[in-house]
Order: sequence, then structure tokens, then C-alpha cells
Amino acid sequence: MNDAVIEAIDLSKTFRPAVVAVNGLDLRVPRGAVYGLIGRNGAGKSTTLRLLMGLLRPDRGTAHVLGSDIKDAPRETRQRVTYVSQEQQLPWRMTADELMAYFSQLYDQWDTAFATDLVRRFDLDTTRPLGTLSGGDQRRVAVILALAARPDVVILDEPAAGLDPVSRRQLIEAMIDFLGDGGERTVLFSTHILADLERVADHIGFMDRGRMMLSGPLDALQGGMRRVQVIFSGDRVPSGFEIPGELRRRTDGPVLTAIVRLTDPDQVNRLQAIEELRVTEHSLGLEDLFIELMERDPHSMGDLQSSPWWQHA
Amino acid sequence: MLLFSINPHSGVPVYRQIMDQVRYHVAAGTLAPGQQLPSIRELAHTLAVNPATIAKAYSELEHDGVIELQRGRGAFIHATPPSMPRDQRRQRLRTLAERMAVEARQTGADDADIRVALDQALISLNRKRPS
Repeated sequence: MNDAVIEAIDLSKTFRPAVVAVNGLDLRVPRGAVYGLIGRNGAGKSTTLRLLMGLLRPDRGTAHVLGSDIKDAPRETRQRVTYVSQEQQLPWRMTADELMAYFSQLYDQWDTAFATDLVRRFDLDTTRPLGTLSGGDQRRVAVILALAARPDVVILDEPAAGLDPVSRRQLIEAMIDFLGDGGERTVLFSTHILADLERVADHIGFMDRGRMMLSGPLDALQGGMRRVQVIFSGDRVPSGFEIPGELRRRTDGPVLTAIVRLTDPDQVNRLQAIEELRVTEHSLGLEDLFIELMERDPHSMGDLQSSPWWQHA
Repeated sequence: MLLFSINPHSGVPVYRQIMDQVRYHVAAGTLAPGQQLPSIRELAHTLAVNPATIAKAYSELEHDGVIELQRGRGAFIHATPPSMPRDQRRQRLRTLAERMAVEARQTGADDADIRVALDQALISLNRKRPS
């Protein structure tokens, strides 16, 4: 349990007047994870990240990064964590070169070669005042600063928002280079864009209305869920027929389609053994999973979090 | 250099896709015993996936005896790639055959067409395999 580099317990924040942004959130990010915090706009993702960075004070609960509340942490700890907010404000009179020179003094692990490499790849003009750069380029500068500081933990709020596919790919490549061989450095990012996320994230947390609905290693989330279709030989699905572990179902005449949580490997095989049924089974992409989960009543999701299929994976 | 390709939206975990492709290339003979695989860093960069995912694929492949990880040197195809346990192989084959039968039938092919197509695929696979 001590290997969590980011840990929030019962984290809650309400904005006046009575807008509940984060509501009893539990979040655990293990060391070395690339953790994607997913949710619709307004799910509370940005507020969560700002609480973790100590930019907001929680009403209840705790938010720890590298073992302590970041506001109380010594400088040595704070310089091991970097953060890029959604509306990054950079000093607009300074150039990227000047800002990078400044950061190299602030951060002991500053990596000049990596910064130079990223500037070249992002094709940035580092000699112009930051205020004259496009919004996208300003965000790229902020990302370079966050990664070239070589922190243990990087927190990125919607890094892919507003970027075209080529820029998103560049961002992901920068992230991958930052990770090196993997396993040491931790990235936590929020997003409502699922494209490309599946490439890089290995842990996922689904947030909805300020709560964590489902979280865990992506492999286990994907491996543990299937879309199963059963076609009966009659003209309707017999009443009372259920697929073991089904979470959502749709019936259309003799066709039953269900999202099924796998708890044992023979669950679907047993159905296939029944002669008069035609059973097909499909993997679920992250996007399918997201849609299926978000359409569900969040109050009935608790059983998923405590279910064994991903916790033991 | 070998081409791996992954589809992150397929719902099949990325490390599985990589494992399957290494296995495929070993079966087809395009990866020979002793041949070196790209480093974790290199493959992560090429595929734009998390290095931890590549590391996981490699370590599972090592566990299954398909590759050998040599500290500081990299990953190599095992000199004697293992065969699957019989039960597992039978189960796997059944799943593959069922999928092929269903999808092939949807194209309107009859039993004979399907058998011929499978035979041809085996012939061309055997041709690729050296020796």
C-alpha cells in the first residue's frame, strides 16, 4: 500500500453556492503508473488535480502526493512534482528560452538536452515573448517545462484538449520519452478525449459527479469485461434468462446483448455449450467501456469497485 | 526491422497484442531463435505506447518461454520456443476455428471454400518458414 505516490481519501470540495465538485473521492496512483483520469466535463477532474496540488483547500478528506500534503512539503519534495493546468498562465513578456533558463535554476534535475530535444520536435520559436505565441504553443512550452524538470510525478490537466491528432501524437511521444524504461516516473492526467489514451495509460479512473466510479489497471478493466450476444432459436428471449455477471442488457426479439463482468474463465464457455444458443463474445474498447459505464446509475456502481476481477489482476 | 502494429481501440490489451505478434512471427519463422527484439525504449517510441506495457509483454513472453531477457543486453527469441500445453492448445484452436467458421460463413462461402482457404493459408505459412 505504501507504493502509492498519489493518494486521496474521501476528498471533497464544494464551491459556493453549494456546487459539489468533488464528493468523497478516493484515488490511488501507484508508482510508475500512467494514470488517466477520465470523465465528462464537470465530473470534477480539474478540481481533483488542483486539490492534489494544494491550489485549493479541501472541505473534507486528504490529498497526498509523495507521502504528504504538498502545501506542507519541503522544497526537495515539491520540486519532484510538476503540474500543467488547463489554462496555463505563462509570464507573457518572457521568452521560452528565458523561462527555461529560470526553471533550470529552480529544478535540480533539470534536463537541458531533453528540453532542447522537445523544443525541436514541437517546432517552437523560443525567442519570442510567450504572450505572442498561440495557445497551443504556450501549452507546449508548459509541457516542456513540466517534463524537462525530470520530476518523479507529473500532473497534466487535459493536456490533449484542443490539439489536433498530430500534436496529440507528439505529446504522447514526449510523455513516452519522459518515462524512459518505465516503472519509476508517474504521470497523472485528466482527459475527456479517449482517442490515443489507450496507447499510453496503464491505469484508468472513471469519475462522475465528483466520485470515482471505477478504477484499476487498464488491462484488468478490459480483460474483465465483455460484450456478449446470445441469439435464441425462438422468437424471443425467454423471460428470466440472465447471463451470469451481466451488468447491462438490451433485448431485441430473440437477441440478447449484454455487458458482462467476467469472474471465471468458463462463464461464457458454459453458455456456448448450450446447443440451441448462438453465443458471440467481443472485447470492449475503452470508449465502449466508458459509454457503458457512464450510462449507468452511478449509485449502483459500488459493487464493481469492490469486485475481485481487477483487484487481483 | 520487424513491423509490429497495434490497435489501441480493439479492446484487446496492448501488451497482449504485442505478445500475439511476437508469437505469430516466431510461428511463421520471421523471428528466428536467438534473434534480438527491439529494446523497450525503442519499441515504446515506435509504437507510441507506454514503456511499462512493452516491459509487461516482454516479461510475460519470458515467463512463457518464448523469449529470453538478458540483463543489459536485451530481449532475444528463445533457442527452443515452447509449445503450448495440449489442453490449452486444443481450447485455443477451438476458439479460432469457431471464429473463422462464423465469419467465413457470413461471406457466403461453403464448407469446401472455407477448408481450401485454410489449407492455402497453411501452405503459405509453411513456405515462409525457413527449412
